[in-house]
Amino acid sequence: MSGSAVSYFFMAWTDLSLLLLTAGGTFAGIYIGAIPGLSVTMAVSILISFTFSWDINAALALMVGVFCGGVYGGSRSAILLNIPGAPASIATSFDGFPLAQRGEAGQAIGVSTLISGIGGYIGIVVLAVAAPTVAEFALKFAPRDYLLLALMGLLLVGSLSGESMAKGVFAGALGVTLGMVGMDPMTAEGRFTFGSVALLGGIHFVTAMIGLFGVSEAFFQLHSIHLKPIKQDVSKIIPSWQVILKYLPLSIRTSIIGVIIGALPGTGGDIASLMAYDHAKRTVKNPSRPFGEGAYEGLIAPESANNAAIGGAYIPMLTLGIPGDAVTAVFIGALYIHGLRPGPMMMIDTPHMFWFMVGNLVLANTFMVIFGMTGIKIFAKIVEIKKGILIPSIIVLSVVGTYAINNNMTDVYWMMGFGIFGYLMKMFGYQVAPVILGIILGPLMDQSYRRAIMSTENSFGLFLLDLIKNPLTCVLTVAVLFMIVSNTRLWPMFLGLFKMKKSA
Amino acid sequence: MCEEVKFTVRPIFYDEERVKEMLKKLSVSFLVVLVSCVFTMTVNAAGYPERSLQGIIMWGAGGGTDGVSRAIAPNVEPILGQQIVMVNKPGGTGAIATQFVHSSNSDGYTLLFGAENPQLYGVLELSKLSYDDFYPVNILARGQVVIVANNDMPWKSLKELVDDAQKRPGKIKMGSTGPGGVPYVVGKLMQTVTGFDVAPVPFDGDGPGITALLGGHVDFIPVNLSAASEHIRAGRVKALAVVDSKELNISGTVVPPITKDYPGFGKYVPWGPFFGVWCKKDVPQEAIQKLVDAFKKGADSERFKEFIASKEAIQMNISGDEATAFLKKWQSVTTWLLHDAGATKVSPADLGIPKP
Repeated sequence: MSGSAVSYFFMAWTDLSLLLLTAGGTFAGIYIGAIPGLSVTMAVSILISFTFSWDINAALALMVGVFCGGVYGGSRSAILLNIPGAPASIATSFDGFPLAQRGEAGQAIGVSTLISGIGGYIGIVVLAVAAPTVAEFALKFAPRDYLLLALMGLLLVGSLSGESMAKGVFAGALGVTLGMVGMDPMTAEGRFTFGSVALLGGIHFVTAMIGLFGVSEAFFQLHSIHLKPIKQDVSKIIPSWQVILKYLPLSIRTSIIGVIIGALPGTGGDIASLMAYDHAKRTVKNPSRPFGEGAYEGLIAPESANNAAIGGAYIPMLTLGIPGDAVTAVFIGALYIHGLRPGPMMMIDTPHMFWFMVGNLVLANTFMVIFGMTGIKIFAKIVEIKKGILIPSIIVLSVVGTYAINNNMTDVYWMMGFGIFGYLMKMFGYQVAPVILGIILGPLMDQSYRRAIMSTENSFGLFLLDLIKNPLTCVLTVAVLFMIVSNTRLWPMFLGLFKMKKSA
Repeated sequence: MCEEVKFTVRPIFYDEERVKEMLKKLSVSFLVVLVSCVFTMTVNAAGYPERSLQGIIMWGAGGGTDGVSRAIAPNVEPILGQQIVMVNKPGGTGAIATQFVHSSNSDGYTLLFGAENPQLYGVLELSKLSYDDFYPVNILARGQVVIVANNDMPWKSLKELVDDAQKRPGKIKMGSTGPGGVPYVVGKLMQTVTGFDVAPVPFDGDGPGITALLGGHVDFIPVNLSAASEHIRAGRVKALAVVDSKELNISGTVVPPITKDYPGFGKYVPWGPFFGVWCKKDVPQEAIQKLVDAFKKGADSERFKEFIASKEAIQMNISGDEATAFLKKWQSVTTWLLHDAGATKVSPADLGIPKP
């Protein structure tokens, strides 16, 4: 890092207008992120027109702020209302909402804010230090590897099934099927559309997310409408050093998952946080509480990963001009409009832009922690609002948010349908999370599998050979197999065999 | 009708007064909605545009169409004196947005920002609509297509690639997209002209396709120049040919025309995607004229020209009859090309599309 790089790094820190724009963007981002349906992608693309006549640095400062704030903001509504504000916060609601129901919303937000900050910094460090290496690594992921990653994510159904594995598998399979609805992007053939143009666009998974999580939870709470809401303990919001140190190793591990998944051009923060949650569940032996009932580990893992994924998504964008996720795709558009040419030459032609963006990310991440830590007490009180007022507000918010996704009424009908369906599922002991998992990962799995098979001359034998021939793929294959086998009865038998051999 | 409602409601609500009051409120609010509807419908075109316009983008945020649309809108807004609120309505390769704009009011306040896709809806059976049902306000730009190969491949020209494909049929992996996408159409075009046999692997678009090429998961791909130019400049991929009859110069790297070794491409080139703005056909003439003038001026601005140049696209800035002729020719060439390659569901002849 040469002298001029340092000056570009600190450019947004020392220029008052850039500093204020980053701060303002982050603040707005937190609230945009917290409202389900209003996505960061949408906000950033609106900002392109809004900042059209601005200087590029100012435009980027604002957009980076919205990006950082938005990814973090999604956790707010996930914890408080069980409605993930963004797909990247789905996993946050698994343990975040139970925490709020226990009266620990304040602590949950406090911990998630600090951990999001740590995750964000780890992501940025990787971006600053190893961007070209990680980008080359990300390019190595072939369709078959995306298939294996999607499979790994789908195995999470096992840990989200609740009381019955069969019910979990059913819900997951339903999700995969729903994910197939709409035009098949590979053949332009309508699947399960019954000839309707409205269904051609498919079911947006955010509609399912809002319906199954938010609306169904609202309906479910009607059962206890006259019950007094749980009193929230907001006395100790800022977590102690001890707590942070205790969770730091997990946070670092899941941040690394976040950076890598974020850097892969085909996957973003949503899949990163789900895989991080899965990782936490598999590796943490003695969680503070059982997972799904308010374990802090279950909150920390996805929150570290989704913020680390920001730095990850920047890696292919800045080194190769390839978007790491949907938001960075819009960023690339913005760079073009402001006369830059994102691509492999950008780091060589305009290295200062790289350091300016890295410095700006650090700044936005810092503001995110500062703003995140303020107002928690007021937010935690949302859970204490009388249910007669809270529940209708959730439903209104859900309808507005759903309409905002694609400005399409069909999505709203789907969302309401999912709400009622999710309510029935809860009544009969089905978990709704596997459905979302299926909708997100199903299409990735379907397309990756078909691409992988097409790449091997449509031969299944060659495809299987491919799974072990390539070192990277082989590692992933072994990991998937291990994840499956270690959950069956074969595993203890195998371990027993191993021990016997050792003693003999 | 009120009587009937009251009758059926009575057994449930015993408080008749409340029911009456509710119905009264309902009818009042219904009236308000009705009146406001009538008012919005009778807005005349004389003072057009009196309020902000809505721009419907047929592809998602971050794509090529999105980029062009969001770059032109701020250049046109000051000329129209109104804001254009840009909204992405992706899905069904734009069929949903096309349908939406077509069923909106013909008042000129809803514009369709789109790419070439609707011209293929008919033959692919995606929708009954095409740009025939709209008025071309401005065809802003057209993109160029290049055939790029992974650096590890031995080919130095398109001819070597085709010869290699002839030698080992079905073994070379070509990056593609779903039907209608640029890589897909050019792949079919190459198949028609050269008769080569390669294995197409469809990706979600140019971007993901070129990513797969960089990672070595496909061997070559025909893509929009805008997606490939920076990688060609950096020497990370090699450009074998441009789908045009003239050569292309990218910062000193000369890319030969596709017709060099295969004159058979001559009747199809130049071929590429295009981007533009449309409104409904029956929008009042004065409004159409204002839109056409505003977009013509906006597209002529330095800022937009620079943007188009940075995207390695070719500025067109045409409207009206000139644009219609361009659209018709594009549709005729492309649909018949796909038809001859056996890739259509409906013959262009059945849709009344003449042979090129």
